[in-house]
Amino acid sequence: MDQYPDENEEFELQYQDELELLEDMPHEYDAFDEEPSTSHQAAAAAQKKQQLDVDGAPETATAMHDVSRLSDSTVSSPQLSQITFGATQIEGPVNRRLFGTPRGSAVGRGCSTPFQRMPAIDELAKNAEDNAAPLLTAAAEQLQELGLRGTNKRRLERDLFGDIDDLYHESYEDPMLKKARTEEQRDNEAIERILELRRKMRESSKTVRHDEVSRLKALHDFKMKNLSYEIPSWPFLALQRSDLERLYVRYHSEDYERRQLELLSARGQQMGSLLGEAKQQVWQEANELVLRRMAPATQPQLEAAATSTAETGRLWVDKYKPRKYIDLLSDEMTNRSLLYWLKMWDKVVFGKAFHSKQEQQAVNSNSGSAAQQLNSFNKRTGKFESNGGWRQRKARQALNTNVDDLGRPMQKVALLCGPPGLGKTTLAHTIARHAGYNVREINASDDRSPEAFKLALENGTQMSSVLNQDKRPNCIVLGKMQQITELLKCINYNCITDEIDGAPRQSIEYLVKFVSDGIYSKVKAKGAKAEHNVLRRPIICICNDIYDPALRPLRQIAFVVNFPPIDAARLAERLLQISRKEQLKTDFGSLIALAEKSGNDVRSCISSMQFFNVQKHSMTLQDVLNNNLGQKDRHQGLFDVWGAVFRIQRPKKMLQQNSSGNGEEPAQVTMTNMSVATRVGNVLDVVHSSGDYERLAQGVYENYLQQKMPDPNFNGICEALQWFCFSDALQHQISRQQNYSIYPYLQYGFVVWHLLFATLAWPKIAFPTRGFEFNQKCTNQRNIFLSLRKGVTTSAQGVGQGHILLLDTVPLLKRILSPQLRSVAVQLLSQKEQYDLRHTIQVMVDLGVNFIQVKSAEGHYVFQTEPDLDTLCAFPGAAGLTLPYFSRQLIAREVELERIRRAAPKGSEVDAAKKPGTPSAAAATKKKAASPRLPNHLQTLKPKQITDINGRSAPKQQLTKDFFGRVTHKTTATTSIEEAKTDAIVKSPIWYRYKEGYNNAVRKDVHLNELL
Amino acid sequence: MALWVDKYRPRELSKLDYHKDQAENLRNLCKQSDFPHLMFYGPSGAGKKTRIMCLLREMYGVGVERLRNETMSFTTPSNRKIEVMTVSSNYHLEVNPSDAGMYDRTVVIDLIKQVAQTHQIDINGQREFKVIVISEGDELTKDAQHALRRTMEKYVATCRIILSVNSTSRIIPAIRSRCLGIRVAAPSQSEMTAVLQSTCKREGLVLPPELAKRVVDKSERNLRRALLMLEASKVQQYPFTAQQEIADLDWQVYLRETANQIVSEQTPAKLEKIRDRLYELLSQGVPPNLIFRGLVEHLVNNCDMSIKAKTLEYATQYEHRMQNGAKHIFHLEAFVAQFMNIYKKFLSELVMTDDF
Repeated sequence: MDQYPDENEEFELQYQDELELLEDMPHEYDAFDEEPSTSHQAAAAAQKKQQLDVDGAPETATAMHDVSRLSDSTVSSPQLSQITFGATQIEGPVNRRLFGTPRGSAVGRGCSTPFQRMPAIDELAKNAEDNAAPLLTAAAEQLQELGLRGTNKRRLERDLFGDIDDLYHESYEDPMLKKARTEEQRDNEAIERILELRRKMRESSKTVRHDEVSRLKALHDFKMKNLSYEIPSWPFLALQRSDLERLYVRYHSEDYERRQLELLSARGQQMGSLLGEAKQQVWQEANELVLRRMAPATQPQLEAAATSTAETGRLWVDKYKPRKYIDLLSDEMTNRSLLYWLKMWDKVVFGKAFHSKQEQQAVNSNSGSAAQQLNSFNKRTGKFESNGGWRQRKARQALNTNVDDLGRPMQKVALLCGPPGLGKTTLAHTIARHAGYNVREINASDDRSPEAFKLALENGTQMSSVLNQDKRPNCIVLGKMQQITELLKCINYNCITDEIDGAPRQSIEYLVKFVSDGIYSKVKAKGAKAEHNVLRRPIICICNDIYDPALRPLRQIAFVVNFPPIDAARLAERLLQISRKEQLKTDFGSLIALAEKSGNDVRSCISSMQFFNVQKHSMTLQDVLNNNLGQKDRHQGLFDVWGAVFRIQRPKKMLQQNSSGNGEEPAQVTMTNMSVATRVGNVLDVVHSSGDYERLAQGVYENYLQQKMPDPNFNGICEALQWFCFSDALQHQISRQQNYSIYPYLQYGFVVWHLLFATLAWPKIAFPTRGFEFNQKCTNQRNIFLSLRKGVTTSAQGVGQGHILLLDTVPLLKRILSPQLRSVAVQLLSQKEQYDLRHTIQVMVDLGVNFIQVKSAEGHYVFQTEPDLDTLCAFPGAAGLTLPYFSRQLIAREVELERIRRAAPKGSEVDAAKKPGTPSAAAATKKKAASPRLPNHLQTLKPKQITDINGRSAPKQQLTKDFFGRVTHKTTATTSIEEAKTDAIVKSPIWYRYKEGYNNAVRKDVHLNELL
Repeated sequence: MALWVDKYRPRELSKLDYHKDQAENLRNLCKQSDFPHLMFYGPSGAGKKTRIMCLLREMYGVGVERLRNETMSFTTPSNRKIEVMTVSSNYHLEVNPSDAGMYDRTVVIDLIKQVAQTHQIDINGQREFKVIVISEGDELTKDAQHALRRTMEKYVATCRIILSVNSTSRIIPAIRSRCLGIRVAAPSQSEMTAVLQSTCKREGLVLPPELAKRVVDKSERNLRRALLMLEASKVQQYPFTAQQEIADLDWQVYLRETANQIVSEQTPAKLEKIRDRLYELLSQGVPPNLIFRGLVEHLVNNCDMSIKAKTLEYATQYEHRMQNGAKHIFHLEAFVAQFMNIYKKFLSELVMTDDF
């Protein structure tokens, strides 16, 4: 290696031309984006760009420098080539150590660019490809897809969405985007991803092109993942170098090794510049590629011929599953918003700043002319966010783009919801893989008890934290370990929880706690120790019914992505592709019919296609319509069912086509021919599939009178109502006896209602709310009534109970409680008024009713009865309490006073009752006077006599004078009496203990011998 | 005790205003040391509860009048907590199981066991049993009644049950046979007038006999209602005049108006308005059978003889069906539609015969 004077110099010498190109690169790159209008040009441009981009970004150049430096020496010697680069970031030191080259500036360069993370992504992708399918075919397919996409989808994409900077479809850039693009060029992330794709494409074209750079790159990658300075996770063999450094070399199977080497060494040796002859070559290749793309119809069939024989055992659903983002069929807006959300995690997961784009844009827009892009102020970053003016809309709005302290998005869980078969799971998997995650799925087939769920969640989301803990004991490894975690992103799990609506409630609660708990623990403990418990990985949940009650807590914190149905035409297009590949004879019309029949369920469509393929290798419209295949038990909306009940369905077009196609007598499209039998069958089908008969019946009940019906004599209505009565009786029977054997009869009511009320016109159907409102009002009234009943004191039992109170007393009570009072002071009221007032107050106290001041909806203060008599038994048109504000105020005050007055004697009684039981010093002194004053408590005094008897025996030992406690000390007297009393209470055979509300207050000792 | 209904309620058997023979019989019943389970039945406002309280006082003395309100809570087998209001003295306990709705079975069982398992402490040589008064006994569900019949026998030593029901028809025969039925008929018009007059006299008011008669008529021989109406009239206007306005019950007015609307127009749109009114009545807690009754009464009054019988027939039919269902509104509306149907037919026939 001594022949090179300096790596920088050498590099410059070798790549002078390219570097010059590099200077202009951004502009050129931009120009390419806008330029292509035909697929031909696009493809050519893409090819050319590939070449340029390899050298394009400076970081690539760095990498290439090493590669090229090595090219002469190491490529030909496999032994040596085993020991080469680490990650790009650490490659400097490694290389120096390995090859003794002087220290250069490569380190700094490498570190400053996002490219440092590139190899990991590459490796991930490669790993996946290695495992799934042969590298070459996958890459070829990808290229193919890209080309197809370029031609077919361009128009569509532009219409659908705008923000495609985080995607790498620069070949169909919208001219409208020009301005936005000039800033987005600097978007590191976009570049990185573009580079990634290009690299893949380059790899894919290896069979055709002998590109030295890419070959070396691949070699470098290959080595990089096979060598390590740390103890790696794969099987390894430890080696010691001459300088006592330990290296770990990966074990591979011989087969694998051979294949890889073949892959690398199959390329030619020449390495030239891009100009001159090489350029010609590139141009040729591009032309070849374009030609290939021009004739896609023939080639895939050939391919398919090969594959279909090989893979007959495979389900088409698996076989044609979208593997890349571009393949996705689902709504682009949905895909994007989910991807955006996933990208927001980048900061936490990969450690690269996601917001760098926005910040940079803000800087640009501040300095430059793009003032129109300042459309939102991000409080968190404290900067203006540039969104291009049109980007932030619809789906993105649901997404909270703010991040928390750790840089995680505010919504830590994404919740995908939609009917089955639309590709939710596929989307989640594809996008997660696309964003560089390893997917870990928990679905219904797994154990979803809270414990299992917890385990899976923690394993999935805290892998890196485990590593962090590991690193603590051996600090030397710390930095590199971290890098390795960054590089080997297979450690970064991304949890996808599928079919979460079937999960037990506890599990979901745990998930919610888990997600939100991270914040709390962060707040509680500032130390780094607490952080290991924080959620650091995105979680995607998938459900069919978002309104499942169990999901309610999750729904509030999650980023909810509603899955719109797939466009039938788009689906049919994809189906057509598949059918071509599989050589299934069919036409677009029948595919559309199939898509519509299955309700745009991709899975079901493909499955039925496979079915037909196996059967007879063809699928006609007749097959689709005649067969019960692909017709799934769809859950129809309530309004659809009501519509079916109230509307005579016109004979469907397809039906007509069908019968005419079969050569039978053509069906007429007139209404008269829509026979009763078909209608009945139709209604039964629809109603049966919906199932919730009670609610359906309620809907029919509340809507049938609005329908246009020629029924002057009420015969139809009577009949309909008889059926309502019948179904009500059935329902009642079912719910009371849990006898579901009569359940099937419920649906026949709908047939009758349909036959009675259905018309050809579109029915106006309102959602049934009356029943619900009625129930609400009933409960409300009942609650008021119950509180009224509770308030009724024992002295007013004559007002009755139950509905007597409600129906007889309350209406009249309102009048009794409405005396006519002048608004003057109480003293100035006439005698009658005074009497009425007193009477009203008495009645109100008896019934426990009072006026309380409340603020009405308009903001006035009004006196309302409590419990609210006015709402009770209030019919429209009937006068309630007619008291004016003043009288209410007056009465309210008086009622309070009366209540206090009534409570007072009771209180004194209680006090008096307590006195003899717990005699105080005062009671003892006035004992003589007190005892005769309480005639009601003779019974409690009687035991006192017993105590006196007992007491007599006790004082006998001391003094006889003690009897009335005059001579001796007061204290001794009281204590003795006290003791005596307590003794008496305990000793007496019957005792009484006051206990409100219990009838076992009086107790009596019974000895066993009394019972014998 | 401010309402006249409470204030002038007889508290002893000897002071009852009417059914004096029956009062004598009741007193004789008390003279023995024991008596069977009782069932007082009769229309509301006839004085069943008054007689029960008088009877209890006769048996236990004044202590029975020291009442207290209690809220007892029960737990149903389905672990639902329900609260039931009871009024009790040391000797008896009064409960309205319909408060518990469909869970009254639990209430009946638990309550009776609780009461019956504690013995009465014999202090003054009083009765050995306590009394449980079940008011609105006909509101008890069948389940609850079946639960009651065994408990009644099992705890007969320690407790007696007095049922207060409006109609025995809704009491299962097993219970009926276990109880001594005592019918409390509604007071006659003259008896009611006498009561009203005496009340006014004690209150120091002058009641014109015409007004008294009108109040009695309006109250449908319901003494409670009559007294409340009189009291309301007193608040509205005193001194009384013979032709003074007597307060109507709001729901009755509303029901009458509904019936008039049914007769006035028979269209689906009207039917929908009627439905709203029926919903209103039901939500205000008016029992559907009362609605049925009110409607039928007014409709029959307003229609021709030839369709009266049919109306009644349909009313019975739909009311019967209503008992087997849960959504009363369907059945009420069905009846209304049916009436509209026959009424419309009748009208069109009338027009036809007029034409020819």
